[in-house]
Amino acid sequence: MSLSQWVPLVVLFTLATLFALFSVTIAPYIGPRRYNKAKLEAYECGIEPTPTPPGGSRFPVKFYLTAMLFIIFDIEIVFLYPWAVAFDSLGMFGFVEMLLFIVTVFVAYTYVWRRGGLDWD
Amino acid sequence: MNDIQLPAIDYAALLPMLIVFGAACVGILVEAFAPRGWRFVIQVSLTIGGLVAGLVAIIVNRDLEITTIGGAVTVDGPGLFLQGAIIILGIVSLGLIAERRLERGGPFVAEAAHAANSDGDKRQEREPGATEVFPLTLFAIAGMMLFCVSGDLLTMFVALEVFSLPLYLLCGLARRRRLISQEAALKYFLLGAFASAFFLYGVALLYGYAGTVSLTGIREGVLQSEQSGILLAAGLALLAIGLLFKAAAVPFHVWTPDVYQGAPTPVTALMAACTKAAAFGGLLRVFNVAFETTAWDWQPVLATVAILTMVVGSILAVAQTDIKRLLAYSSVANAGYLLVGVVSLNGAVGSSLFYLIAYGFSVLGAFAMVTLVRDSEGEATHLSRWAGLGKGSPLFSALFTFLMLGFAGIPLTSGFTSKFALFSSAWDSDQSVLVIVGVLSSVVLAFPYLKVVVLLWLNPPGEETPTVSVPSMLTRAVIFAGVAVTFVLGVAPSFLLDIVADAGPFLAK
Amino acid sequence: MNAVLLAVLIVPVLGILAVAAGAWAGNRRLGAVLGTVFAGVGLFAAVALGFDHSGRPWTRITEEWVPQLKLSFDIGVDGVSYPLVLLSAFLTFLCCLYTAWKGTERGDALIALLLATNVGMLGVFVSYNLVLFFVFFEIVLLPMFAIIAGWGGPARRRAAVKFALYTLLGSLLLLVGIFVIVTQAGTGDILALTESGGGGLSRGTQLLAFTLLALGLAIKAPLWPLHSWLPDAHTEAPTVGSVILAGVLLKMGTYGLIRVAVGVAPEGARQAAPTLAVLAVVAILVAGLVCLAQTELKRLIAYSSVGHMGFVLLGIATLTQAGLTAALIGNVAHGLITGLLFFLAGSVKDRAHTGELARLGGLREVAPGLSGMLGFAAIASLGLPGLAGFWGEAFAVYAAIQRDQTLWTVLAVLAAIGAALAAAYLLRMLRLVTHGPPGEAVAGMSGTGLRAVEVTSFVPLAAGALVVGLLPFVVQAPIGEAVSGILQAI
Repeated sequence: MSLSQWVPLVVLFTLATLFALFSVTIAPYIGPRRYNKAKLEAYECGIEPTPTPPGGSRFPVKFYLTAMLFIIFDIEIVFLYPWAVAFDSLGMFGFVEMLLFIVTVFVAYTYVWRRGGLDWD
Repeated sequence: MNDIQLPAIDYAALLPMLIVFGAACVGILVEAFAPRGWRFVIQVSLTIGGLVAGLVAIIVNRDLEITTIGGAVTVDGPGLFLQGAIIILGIVSLGLIAERRLERGGPFVAEAAHAANSDGDKRQEREPGATEVFPLTLFAIAGMMLFCVSGDLLTMFVALEVFSLPLYLLCGLARRRRLISQEAALKYFLLGAFASAFFLYGVALLYGYAGTVSLTGIREGVLQSEQSGILLAAGLALLAIGLLFKAAAVPFHVWTPDVYQGAPTPVTALMAACTKAAAFGGLLRVFNVAFETTAWDWQPVLATVAILTMVVGSILAVAQTDIKRLLAYSSVANAGYLLVGVVSLNGAVGSSLFYLIAYGFSVLGAFAMVTLVRDSEGEATHLSRWAGLGKGSPLFSALFTFLMLGFAGIPLTSGFTSKFALFSSAWDSDQSVLVIVGVLSSVVLAFPYLKVVVLLWLNPPGEETPTVSVPSMLTRAVIFAGVAVTFVLGVAPSFLLDIVADAGPFLAK
Repeated sequence: MNAVLLAVLIVPVLGILAVAAGAWAGNRRLGAVLGTVFAGVGLFAAVALGFDHSGRPWTRITEEWVPQLKLSFDIGVDGVSYPLVLLSAFLTFLCCLYTAWKGTERGDALIALLLATNVGMLGVFVSYNLVLFFVFFEIVLLPMFAIIAGWGGPARRRAAVKFALYTLLGSLLLLVGIFVIVTQAGTGDILALTESGGGGLSRGTQLLAFTLLALGLAIKAPLWPLHSWLPDAHTEAPTVGSVILAGVLLKMGTYGLIRVAVGVAPEGARQAAPTLAVLAVVAILVAGLVCLAQTELKRLIAYSSVGHMGFVLLGIATLTQAGLTAALIGNVAHGLITGLLFFLAGSVKDRAHTGELARLGGLREVAPGLSGMLGFAAIASLGLPGLAGFWGEAFAVYAAIQRDQTLWTVLAVLAAIGAALAAAYLLRMLRLVTHGPPGEAVAGMSGTGLRAVEVTSFVPLAAGALVVGLLPFVVQAPIGEAVSGILQAI
């Protein structure tokens, strides 16, 4: 239980903190000052930002919907990893079971697809 | 990589649940692909077909006693009985869910998430409701079925979530009074999420104590474990909190009146009958299998909870002015009586099962009749609007009076036989204090029912007395089923008492 | 005889169906008449039941109903229950006749409810199974509630709800007592439990069972201090409702005490008897004093019931042959006499439109027939020898003295003082109502002569009181043998 094994971690942590603080502090002083309206808009992966509706905006639900759908299918993929690793030991039984699993999630996918959940606008 | 031992799976035992889950998945595909006009008919037939097929599978399985999928599912007599009860109550409440004559487009709207009273919301009130409610109901029922036969706590948790999430959504889909419907859904969801978290934390602590999450494993581990007893106590307490929330026991009952009132009445009926059966199925299984040997530890605490529930439920029911809230508090008090059955362990398993069926049918009939009293703005649930209905609608009032008498426990109704059976088994199991409190709280609880009966018959009708709508065959069938079962189980309960006595104890090895 | 026994229970049910058929066919008058006819047939069956009294019990039918709940359809009649069966059928018939003849509004519905109450009461008296006893006990609740609430006086809602809640509380205490016995002894058969002297239950269990049963039944009987539902219910009920309430319903409580509480838990009865006796005597005295201060006729008669039931309960508490016999005779006597009193009070109220004693007076000058009957009834109620009430009260006091212990002698003396109080308040009532100058309500009374319907209702009751008073062995002989069976265990 020697503490010395943690030293590299502490050093790394300190360096990272220093670097972050340095960058953030120095940026306003050495960077160019060219004001552009586009720089102040919300960043949305490079596409045109969603326009704010008149009369104030509420959080657009489609971001939330996309995030939820991503989580569901991402977790499905996560469940496929152990099966991939233990594929031969699980044999036919595993294959059929995972097929059923994928089919069940696929049913949900077809529903979302047909009901327009995958359309952005 | 060594060879993995594949678990033995008895598909016959799983068949009922597989059928209902399968019907639910097919229902989703129907939603995705069927043309709009056809969806309602297809969904209703699919749902009824799936539930009936599941019931047939249960009846075929009726003598099965087996633990399968590596201990995750334990099919035994009480478990099969509960599954059958949930399916039958589900079929009956389907009549209310599929009712389209009382309200144009049915009691549900298509989208729960529109801001209440916004333009989109008002627009959707005029359109026919979505038919997704049918697969959602099937998922809820399938989850309840799995909950009652879970062999370990993680399966139980999965089943708990599977049946709770559709119910959260269904609560928010009422066609009228969307704001309190959304409020009900949100309340149920938040409190339910908390309760599930408690449940899971309890499971974790119990795993730490016993080294396993399987119920039979915990049963053996309880006596042999070398871990601190605090782990057991804390784990049991947290687990019980999660289960008691679903069962609506005091002080975890706070969601019940608001959710029962805000949810669409067919969903309230489904919750009051089926969720109660599932929750108590789970409670009975957990306490009879896993913790039977440490009964002296938890019986006093659970007995206190039972007493509180009976007393608080009956006292608060007296002050209610809304019929749905009154029935909600009455369901809290009835949860108290069922907890007496849980505390009494083995002796009262049969009578608890009988009570769940008797209560389930009565409450389905009662809520079906609540859907009938309407004015231009939807259901008129305030008690003052019900005054004098006896004059204009004597048949309705007579049937509702009969159901109220059933709830009050007057002989010749199932309420009397179920309470008598439960209390005498409890007395036999030395729970005399609970029986006495139960009997006294019945007197208090009789008062609100009596109040409603007096209101129906002796008060003069006001100017705003709503009319009793004429429903389609579906709601009529539900009311008939509720009243008929209440009467039959009051006059000739022997056949069902024999069935529940033969169901035997929970499989515990 | 088995068929007759079943007929006694089934005929009133058929009567209810006949009333319903009449209403459905649109002729409510016919329904009312049919209901009364069926009540008469039921009375006839009840009378026929007494012809064969050789067996022990006289007749019995046993059928399984719900074995898991120890509920079996076990009915029969013997010396203890027969007088009450007869009284119940008789009073129901008279009430139905009165309602149908008088043409009460919605009379057919009232008759149907009376018949329903009759089924419940008869069921209580003929039931030989504890759970069946409870079932019939509960069945009486709803029709009686409906009678009070539907046809009663100005404060009927409150009185009806109070009646229902008190009765429900009593029933549920009774239920717990029945649980105790049924689960400990393993059977609900009353006769078997009586013969085995308590079914092998321990002393403590018997005391617990007796206390619960007695509490539940005492609310019905009613025993002071659980009597407060009675004045309101009796005052606000319609005439026929009060007659049935006072005439028969109260007897359900005392009969239950004898048959169920004393019969099935004799050890418990023996231990609790002194307490019961003290409360009974307190009831007699309190009722007497309260009656002296009453200002309303029906309320006065209601409180007098509390006093009379006190004598009956004292008789039961003595646990002797004489005491129990006195109690059972007192039951019948009270049923006849107070039934008559309530009919008379109903007639007075119909004519004078008030029951306030201050506003009545001088009835004998304006309506001599009515006043004469009232005098007869009041004198019967106070226990004049030669009329039925005497045997109930005198023998209760005699039984108490027979116990030959200080407490009991003191109680006997106090009970006798109570009897004197009864005389006092009844004579006061007579003085205020029938004697003196005509009161303001009496002076303007219309229809002062006795109408045919009233004569037909009063005379049989008065005759009954006279017959039982002069020939008590008519009631006492069949009772005595059955009572000794119950007392064997004590």
